[in-house]
This record gives sequence, C-alpha cells and structure tokens, in this order.
Amino acid sequence: MASQPASTAQGFVEVETVLDENHTYESVTEKISSLPLTPTLPKPVLVVLLFAMLLLLGMGPSLIFLLVEGTGVWGINQPVAWGFAIINFVWWIGIGHAGTLISAILLLLRQEWRTSINRFAETMTIFAVVCAGMFPLLHLGRPWLAHWFFPYPNVMQMWPQYRSPLSWDVAAISTYATVSILFWFTGLIPDLATLRDRAKNKVVKTLYGAASMGWRGSARHWQRYEVAYLLLAGLSTPLVVSVHSIIGLDFAVSVIPGWQVTIFPPYFVAGAIFSGFAMVLTLSIPLRALFGWKDMITLNHLNNISKVMLATCLMVLYGYGMEVFFAWYSGSVYEGYMKFNRMYGPYWWSYWGLILCNGVIPQLLWFKKVRTSPIILFFLSIVINIGMWLERFVIVITSLHRDFLPSSWGMYTPTIFDWGLYLGTIGLFLTLMIVALKILPMISQFEVRELLHKKKHSNHH
Amino acid sequence: MSPITDTPQNTPASIRAALDRQAVAERLNGKTGRRFWRSLEELSKEESFGTMLQQEYPRFAAEWDPMHRRDFLRLMGASLALGGLTSCTRQPVEKIIPFVRQPEYLVPGKAMTYATTMPVQGYGVGLLATSHMGRPTKLDGNDLHPASLGGSDSLVQAAILTMYDPDRAKTVKFKGRTNVKGWKDFYADLDKEMAGFAETGGEGLHLLTGTITSPSLATAIEQALETYPKAVWHSYEPINRDAVYAATEQAFGAKLDPVYDVAKADVMVSFDSDLIGSGPGHLRFARDFAARRNVEAGGMNRLYVAESQMSITGAAADHRLALTPDEQEKLARAVARELGVAVNGATDTVHADWAKEIAADLAAHRGSSLVVAGEHRAAGFQALVFAINHALGNIGSTVSFIEPAAVRPGGQMESLQALSDALGEGKVKALFMFDTNPVYHAPASMDFQNKLRGVNFLVQHGLFEDESSEWCHYHLPGTHFLEAWGDCLAYDGTASIVQPLIEPLYQGKSALEILHRIATGKEASGHDLVRNRWVKSLGDSLAWKRALHDGVIANSAAAPVQPGWAWSDTGPAEAPAQSGKLDLALLPDYSVLDGFYANNGWLQEAPRPITTLTWDNALLISEETASAFDLATGNLVEVGSGEGMVRLPVLVTVGIPEGAGVAHLGYGRTKVGRVGEGVGASVYPLVDPASPFRASVSVTKVRGRHAFALTQEHHSIEGRNHLRVGTVTDFQNDPQFVWKLDEYSAKYGRNENAPSIYPHPHDYSQGPQWGMVIDLSACIGCNACMVACQAENNIPVVGKEQVAIGREMHWIRVDRYYEGRSAKVEVHHQPMTCVHCENAPCEAVCPVAATVHSTDGLNQMVYNRCLGTRYCANNCPYKVRRFNFYKFADHETPSLKLQRNPNVTVRARGVMEKCTFCVQRISEGRIKARVQNRPIADGEVVTACQQACPTQAITFGDIRDPMSKVSAKKESTLDYGVLSSLGTRPRLTYHARIKNPNPRLAAALVTES
Repeated sequence: MASQPASTAQGFVEVETVLDENHTYESVTEKISSLPLTPTLPKPVLVVLLFAMLLLLGMGPSLIFLLVEGTGVWGINQPVAWGFAIINFVWWIGIGHAGTLISAILLLLRQEWRTSINRFAETMTIFAVVCAGMFPLLHLGRPWLAHWFFPYPNVMQMWPQYRSPLSWDVAAISTYATVSILFWFTGLIPDLATLRDRAKNKVVKTLYGAASMGWRGSARHWQRYEVAYLLLAGLSTPLVVSVHSIIGLDFAVSVIPGWQVTIFPPYFVAGAIFSGFAMVLTLSIPLRALFGWKDMITLNHLNNISKVMLATCLMVLYGYGMEVFFAWYSGSVYEGYMKFNRMYGPYWWSYWGLILCNGVIPQLLWFKKVRTSPIILFFLSIVINIGMWLERFVIVITSLHRDFLPSSWGMYTPTIFDWGLYLGTIGLFLTLMIVALKILPMISQFEVRELLHKKKHSNHH
Repeated sequence: MSPITDTPQNTPASIRAALDRQAVAERLNGKTGRRFWRSLEELSKEESFGTMLQQEYPRFAAEWDPMHRRDFLRLMGASLALGGLTSCTRQPVEKIIPFVRQPEYLVPGKAMTYATTMPVQGYGVGLLATSHMGRPTKLDGNDLHPASLGGSDSLVQAAILTMYDPDRAKTVKFKGRTNVKGWKDFYADLDKEMAGFAETGGEGLHLLTGTITSPSLATAIEQALETYPKAVWHSYEPINRDAVYAATEQAFGAKLDPVYDVAKADVMVSFDSDLIGSGPGHLRFARDFAARRNVEAGGMNRLYVAESQMSITGAAADHRLALTPDEQEKLARAVARELGVAVNGATDTVHADWAKEIAADLAAHRGSSLVVAGEHRAAGFQALVFAINHALGNIGSTVSFIEPAAVRPGGQMESLQALSDALGEGKVKALFMFDTNPVYHAPASMDFQNKLRGVNFLVQHGLFEDESSEWCHYHLPGTHFLEAWGDCLAYDGTASIVQPLIEPLYQGKSALEILHRIATGKEASGHDLVRNRWVKSLGDSLAWKRALHDGVIANSAAAPVQPGWAWSDTGPAEAPAQSGKLDLALLPDYSVLDGFYANNGWLQEAPRPITTLTWDNALLISEETASAFDLATGNLVEVGSGEGMVRLPVLVTVGIPEGAGVAHLGYGRTKVGRVGEGVGASVYPLVDPASPFRASVSVTKVRGRHAFALTQEHHSIEGRNHLRVGTVTDFQNDPQFVWKLDEYSAKYGRNENAPSIYPHPHDYSQGPQWGMVIDLSACIGCNACMVACQAENNIPVVGKEQVAIGREMHWIRVDRYYEGRSAKVEVHHQPMTCVHCENAPCEAVCPVAATVHSTDGLNQMVYNRCLGTRYCANNCPYKVRRFNFYKFADHETPSLKLQRNPNVTVRARGVMEKCTFCVQRISEGRIKARVQNRPIADGEVVTACQQACPTQAITFGDIRDPMSKVSAKKESTLDYGVLSSLGTRPRLTYHARIKNPNPRLAAALVTES
C-alpha cells in the first residue's frame, strides 16, 4: 500500500487537501499525542463531560427500577410489546456502523482521506455498540437468563432456536463487537507505543507500555502489522453489511405490516451508514474546533462525509418511497392501512418528522457551501440523528400499535424510565468518548505520518 | 358431603388420638420457623416418634428405618412444616395431615365435583363445584338445573373468588372492633335483648333481608315471627321485581312470576328486557335463544328489541331500536293496537312502520311468539305487554305464570319505606340486617345512615363489613354459599340445595343459623336445619341424598297457574321525558350487579359488555346526546335528580337513545374491601322510590377529566373481514357466501386447502388433533368465557392503571365491533383467543424455543424457558399473547393461593402466557383414556370457556375424528378462519354470524335511509 503512488488520486478525493501543507512528521505527532499526555482538558469539554455524567447518573434509577420491578416500568404493552429499548438498540447499532465502514471499506478502497477520522469513528463504533448491546439484555422479561441466547451445552439439552432472527442478532452483534474491538486495538498499537515513548510520567509510561504490547516499530513489526490490519479490514467488511442486514431481518421475517418488508436489509444498512456518518460529523466538528485539528480534519473531510451522507440519504429515501409503493401494489388492506396510519394516524408527527429530517433537510447537502460549512453541517447531523431515531420509532411503534385486528389496537406512551435509560446511554456514550479522547490518540498518528510521507513522495514526482 | 368434613368414623381411637392437633402440637412444642426443622430432627430421634408414626402413617412407617429417614423427612417435611407455621385464627391443622383412610373416591391430585346452588339476588342457579383436596377451585353450571343447563355467567364464575376474598369479614365485631369472645359475647347480648322482646311480643323488633326464596330461611323467619308476633320482617333488594308483581296484579289480579319458554318462540319482541343477559333465568333463556340461531338447522327465531340501554339482548337482536321508555311504550301500544288489543289513549307513535311490521310478524306467529318487557319497566307497561301476549295466545305457550318463587313477592320499596318510617318514629328497638346494605343502596330520601342511630341493638350480618356495618353495634361474619348449608328456588320454582364444599374459612355463620337462633334461642347447625326440612318434605333420606347428588330436587318446578284475565288499559304508564333533562336509566351492572360483587377483582376487570369499560361506571350517552349537552368522553358532569346529586364521568358509546343516558348501580362503594372501594361513583342517590330505575336528571358539566380503562378503544372493523356477518337470505342464496367475503377464502375455501411453497411444518396425521369452532351466531358477548378462563387458568388481576395502558391478562377476550353509528348501531361480538395456528408466527421468532408446537396441534408456551423477548407477542397477528410486565400474580395472599387450580402454573414476572386450549384438561382426558386403553371420546375434553358458555357457542374436540362435533362444524360453509390468508392455518375457526332480519322491515329501512 505504501508503495502505491498517491498521485493516482483515488476516487473523488484529492489527497493533498486532507492535510495541512505545513505539517511535518514531528508536528503531527506532537499535536495528536499532546492531548493524552497533558493533564488538562479544555473547559467546553469538561462542561460536556459534566452534562454527560449527569445523564449517566439519571440512568441509575432507570436501571434499578427496571431490574427490581420489571419491564412494566416502561411504556410497552399489548399490542406494542417493543418500545424504546428496541428503537434505541437499532439506533445505536446504526451509529456504530460508520466506524467499520470508514476503517475497513474505505481502507480497502484506498480512500486515504479516512486516516484522520478513522480512529475516533472506530472508538465511536465500539461505544455505540456498548450502548446498543445493553438494550436487548435489559428489555428481556427475565434478563438474568440472557445466557440462554448462546449455544452452550447444558443440562436442559436446549439450544437456541435458530429460526428466530433474534438468535442471528446475538451472533451478528457479538461478532461485530469482537471484530470492531480487535480492529480498533490493532490500529492503536503503534500509536500507544508512541505515547509510551513520549510519556514522562512513569505510571503512564508503564500503562501505555503494557498496552502497546512490546511494539518496537521494527520493519518486521510493520510488515506483519500491515498484513494483520488488512486481514482484519477484510474480515470487518462483510460485517458492515451483515449486522444491520440482520437487524433489518429482525423485523422483516415477521408477519406484521410495516415490518414484513423485503427491502429492509439493504435499507437498514444504508440508514445505518447515514446515521453513523451523521454522528461522525456531530463529534468531529466540535473536536476539530476545540483541539485545533482543523488542519487534520479539513473541510475536505467534511465535504466527503457529506457526500456519503447525501448518497445514503437518497438510498433511504428510495426505501421510504418503496414502502409506499409496496403498500399500494400489494393490494393488501393491512399494508395499505399501515402506511395510511403512519402518515395520518395518531403518530403522524413521527412519520412526517422522519421525512423532514431524513429526506427533505439533507437535500441541502447538494450545495457545496453547505458541505463545507461546519456549523450548518453540525446542526444537519443532529437533525439526521433525530430523523434516524424517528425512523426506528415509526417502524417499531406505528407498525405494532395498529396491526390486523382493530380490537387490539392501542397506543404507546414512553415513561420517564424509557427516557431515563435512553438519555442515560447518550450520557454513557459521551462520557466514554471523552475519557477515550483524554487517554488515547484520537487521530491515528502513524497513519497521518504515512499520509504525509506519501504526500511528500508524490510531490517529488 | 364435603370430603374434609367426612372424617372416617371407624378409625381406631388410638390413631385418632395421635391425629389430635393437641398431641402433635405438644410434640412440636410450639416451635416455629427455622428452628422448627431442628426440632423435627430432635423429635425424630425419640423412640416415641416412631410409635406415633406407626400409628399415624402406617404407609410410611414401613420405611421408617435409619436408611430411609431422610426420604421420610423429605416426604413429610412440607405438610408438617405447614402445621408448625400455622398462625391464622382458624386453620385446622388436622386437615393437612393425610387421611389415614381416605374417604371413598378421594384420590390426591384428582378433582371432585359436587352439586350446589348459588343464590343470585335470592334466585338459585344450580352449579357444579370442582374441589381439589377439599378446596373448591372452580364453579360451573349444573346441566340438570333448569336455571343453568350447564351454562354460567361471569357472576357464577367469579363467585369462587369472593369466597377466598381476603377482605371478607372474619370475626364478630362489636362497634368496629374485634370482639374477643366472638360469638359467645354476641349470643349473650342477643339473649339479653331477646328476653326483653319475649315480654313485649317483639314490639320494635325488625328484620331486614334481601329477596328470600329459601324454604329453610322462610321457616326460620316464620318461627321468629311466631315467637315474636309483633316483630316486623322487611325485605328489600335494590334490583327488585316489584313492578313485575304489580303488573301481574293488574293483568291477573294476583302476584305471579312469568316464566318464558324461549325455545318455543319463533318471533320475540323485547321492550327493555335484558332477557338473555341478566335477571333470574337469563342463562336458560340465553341457551334456548341461541339454540334457535342456527341457520343450517333451520327454524331461526327473530328478535326485535326496543330498549333504552345497549344490553346483551339488544346486541343479539335482528332489529333494534334505541328508544326511551315512553317511546317504547308508544311502540308497544301501536303494536297492541295493530293486534286488536283494546288500548285507549293517544295514538301518536314512533316508528309506525316498525309497529306495523312487528305486529304482522307477531300475528303470523300466534302462540309461538313472545313479547317481553323489562322487569324494571312501569307496571302498566308490563301489563300491556302481557295483554299483547294474551291477544297472541302466547299465554300458556311461550309464557306461563307460576306462584312466585319469592317467599314475599313484591312491595319491597314499600317494605323498606315502612322500615325507614319506623326508624324515623323511633319505633325500632332492635334491627337485624341479613346480607343487605341499606346505608349504601336505599334511596337517599330514606336517610338510613342517620336514622339507624336511634336503634338500641343493631346487627348487620354479611360477607363483608360494609357501609351499613359501620353504623351497627355488631357485625357478624356471614358465610359464602360454598361454606354453609341452605336452599334456594330458581326462577321457575325449582328447588335445590346449597351444599357447602368447605368449612367456613373464617368465623362466619349463615343467616339461617342466626335466624334460627333468634327464633328459637337454640343453636342448630345449618346442615341439620336444611336436612330436616327436606327429609321431611321429600319423605326419606335417600331422596335427600339424591337431591344433593343431582343438585336439584326432582320435579320441584312450580306448576303453571291458570290465572283469570283481569286487564284493562289504564293508559300510558311511562312518563314522557322532560325536555332539557336527560332521561337516565339506572340499571344493574353486568359485573358488580347491585354492588354486592364490588370487591371481586375478576368482575371489576372483566370488560363490561359493549363498552369494554373496566373498573368504573360512567354516564353512558350516545354521540347525539353528547353533542346536545356539549360533552365528550372523559368529561365530568354533575347529574342531579329530585333525590340527589352525583358526579359522574361521561363515556360516549353507542346504542343509547337520543336524550337518554345509562348509569350503572353498584359502584362508589366506600367500605367493602381493598378492591372495590373508590371504584366508580354510586348512583343510588339518584334513585327515586316512585320509579327506581329511571330518573329525569339535569346534567351540568364540571371541571376536571376522568381517565377510563377500556380494553378496546377501536370498534370499527375498518373494512376487514375477520368478522363475517350475513343474513338468512344471504345463506339461502349462496351457502358459500361467507367464503366469498374474502378474496383468499373465495379462492381456497377453508384455509387448509391453500397452497404453500413450504412443506407442512408438522405432522398432524396422528393422535387427536385439537381444534375449536366458535359460532358467532350463538355468542351473546356475556363474558362468561373470560372469567371462566381466569378462574381455570390462574390468570391474575392487574388493576385499573395496567388495564388503561393495555396490559390486561385475559387469555380469551370478547372483541366488539360496531356497525353503523350511534343509536342505530349493530354490535357484533367475537371471542378471540389463541387460535393455535398450525403454522404459528410466534414459534418461528422465539430465540429460545419457549413456544413450540405439540404433536396434538397445540401451540404451547413453556413458561420456564421464556426469556421475555416479547417478539412472539409482536408477531402474533391476533394479539392474543399476554405478558407479565410485572409480577402480576399474587404469590403472597394465603387465601388466594387456595383458590388456584393446582394443575396450572402460576406465572412469574417477565414471562409470556396465552391460551393453552386448557392443556391440563386435555392431559386429564388423555391420562384417563390411556389408563382405560381407549381413544379419548368426543366431548370428554371440555375447555373452561366452552364449559362456561351459556349458549354453547364454543365447540372443541378432535378435528381428525370425522365423527366429532367439531369436525362436523368445520365442515360447514359458515366456517372460516380469521386472517387465514396469512397462512397461519388457525385451529380455532369461526362460524359467521347469521342474522334473521324481517325482509320487509329491512327493505323499509333501506328506503328510509
């Protein structure tokens, strides 16, 4: 890879513009490693941390009441037996998609602009998966028996029932979490070694030393490292598609109008990438402003991310259109009513909110001015995140609350415990992100240096 | 005889001594709890323990050597530990020690059935009670009893819960405090009091009871009145039949009970009568009515209803008009005039076309038609209806008259008024009240609450400490009908014995025992009193045993009398509605009746027919009235009559005439128990003694909102076809019209013929394959199946808040769909439960195989394996799965544990549940058949809902057996599967509802609209 001349200008990206002209190897390392190695954090970050930890604190009672009393503390009922837990689960998993996509697929596609955003995108992925993973466990009626999900020899002589997509979920998500963590950690090793070498505090040095697993930066190390990284990238690639496809199947294998949709797997993947990139923007725009990383996360990055978002937005929009088409073309009274109910039923606001947030507003991304305006993009990314949450709300709630027999139609109202847990996971996510930001290099140092090398190399040509 | 009281008499004295509670207790030396276990070990080392064991448990004694000691302790631990831990006032220890010699037929684990009788407002309904090891657990109709024929209603089904109600009055209380000496103290006071009355001949001694049909009670009261000739007996039932007797006096010059033969009626007209939904004999009438609703058998009857409420009978009608009582009477007069009855007065009428067609239809069925008026309608109106029957020659055919079943028929309002007056004049020195609650349900103008204060000796006897007991000196704990002996007459005069199945749970005594004590000064057991009474009249003790066994005294139905015809029209009896006011009907509730069942959680949570309201009453009005009074569901209104003012929430519903409203009695109890207190609002203050069931009220909207707990909020069918309805004509034109209502079944007929690209997931070619058919033509939507299922399957009560957010647990529900709008609505019922799909969507999505298919075609729920992902519930197109969002089942209250069906798991928190087709009953049938080495016979396995159904709308059995009833039903072209186009292949299918409208009236209606 390193031998490849970068001047061939992969795809639509110009390598030159993704890193500031004046950077040297030294300045890159200095800039990125200074954050973990200095004891302070900027005030705005501390404020965000405080806010995040408050949200996390609110999660405590929500969890305790849930575990002591049962899932009855939530707003779920008959017929809406799934509520916030599943909405949030799918939402978080979707957010977790950007990391792997950026790390693996863009790596394989040689989109080298990815290098300055892949680290925190991966970190984000892992923490999003942590948040997501809590929900399927907590939403169980009897969470203490969750190990029954796993195939293990037991005296009951019972195995999971593999016709159920929930069993596929367990495999898909645990695989995804494992590979994501491996990929992330493997990527971190050379940088951790850099931190080890630069650390002045002995304790810190020892800790980074242990974490860097004896990395010496020898040629043999690099050679094996590159192979391992590429292999892991290869392993991760199908996972980008598989995880959210399977989450899509969670719904698509059912018989419920609004769930039983054949386009769900690709449509879910597109939605996941859409929301994942939106979250990357939500996080990277404040970071580059606060830490002065504008020279490494350039406007060109934002531009590229926006283009991916625009593309996935159009795919998702196609999905929404197809759902309407299916409802009409099926000729089924149930499908037809489902779509009608989404648009004009009691939860009409969620459907039109979703169309507005995911379909209409992102059309601004057609304009380069918007794509290169960090402030607009920041708000846009939040709008898209809300839109994607609404999409899951529409799928889960409006499909269930009015299905086949009008006698069992009902309404769903989330309770304070639903909100507490949801906001709590946002708090958890932000807290973990800020902690990671403080102790780990959030931009891959060696990859940026590599980029710099290529840049200089290509200039000589 | 109940098994537990049937202690074997031939047990050796030594063993009986060892069985003595005292002896065991001394050995255990009062040690309880954890220490108890050690004591048992210590105890077991003594040699005397071995001796005791030898005598007490000869079966286990054989194993009594050191080798097996541990096993023995394991075996005995549970029962002895229970003995050691007993702390309640009356938990007889000897009863949990196994029988030395078991009573004949008593096999542990096998239920026994006894016949008994449930008095409902004085009138008997014959029951069969299921008992598990001495605990009655389930009640069902007795097919030999004419008032039940094996069917039951929600009141019957829920009565068992009342017996085990932990809020029942447990001990004798004096001025609200537990009287330490209990009955002894009471009897001492009573004797003192009665000694005084003996001198004055009972001057100032008053008794107040409900309606009494019991011959034994009548004897006791007669004796009391003989001993104290100046004593006065009052009887009052808030839902009384005063108007019926006043009507028969007008028409025949005598107080008589009309008895209807619905089976013979080809054409029926009901004026505000809920003939098949409530009142004495309604189960029988419902059975006879539904038997004539089978289009394939032919000879369908036709029912016209004009009513002021939306009743079960109204929903079953072929033609229904929502009319206020005065309009009903006008219609009745027009019909009478058409039939040549000599009616005078104004000739204005409503719905002249209806009157003409109804009259023509009736005239075409002279002698085989039936016109009924509600028991609560004005006497003159009811008499007019008798006159119509008289003109049609129906008397003696479809309607006959008998001497009243009640000991003192009619005049109850006057009787209560007399008591109130006597109280007001200070003439009452002592008042004994039995199973009645005047402070709560007497008309406000009688002011019982204040008038009771002047009485020297006030005694209230009843199951619950209620509003009246608060003002009494003594509250005596009553007995449930499963606890004490008694007798009762049914609506047609058939006598039956109230046979107890268990000793009183608490210190209760029956009204009979107390009345006998008052009358004679001597104590006697209820058993002796009832037995002596009946052995004397039946002639021998064998007949008595027969009566107990059958649950009915043979040929005791009253013979019809041939009354002389004395009717002449007295003019309109129902007052016209006042303009600007709401014409309010005050009616008994389908769940709590007059308030007696207010503390019954099953009944409170059973959705009221039509409205699906739970845990509440409301001012029910229809849309037009709501807009006329500017009201909406959830508004609070103050409703005022001349008598009083009541604050009620408004519920806008269907089928109620314009300008009229309905409010149900029995709510707003302030003292009854934890379940019933504070539920709804009492509308008794609106009751006018002159017309107790109808009030002209002012309605004032007040601030505030009320949240209802409805189990179904959407009543439109949304153009879908899971509920299929047609007419006799439709069926005659095309027997397959039901299938043609749906594209899919039009193509494939019954669902099993549909093609699939998948191989069939299960092999159903062997063994019995269970299936069910529900006939929507027969279903009247009475809730019996729902409550029966709750009793059979240990289904918890969740409370108003949980129902309001959609977490009710009923395994079978009755869906209600409204066709048409507001007053002109047609209501259809569809009982819905797990349809046991052969290709079940729930099974595929469970990640841990907690819901699986059995070889006999049941969709099973394995509670122990369930994780609670709830995907199955989401993926169920019928939404029949129920989830334990909390720990809904009461695992703590001891008395409720006794009620449970031991063959059904009590579900834990976080577990899914649903209808099992009563798998425990299937297993019982299978075991029995296998022991006898034969296949299970058709009809041997009966589900709880099927057994309860008063109209036999539910058929269950082996669909593989071509000779079974259910197979025959499935062969019908009326049979269709709900949502079978999804490929679910439901085992529960439905017969479309076929109505029998009058073609001429139907045509007239079309042109009218």
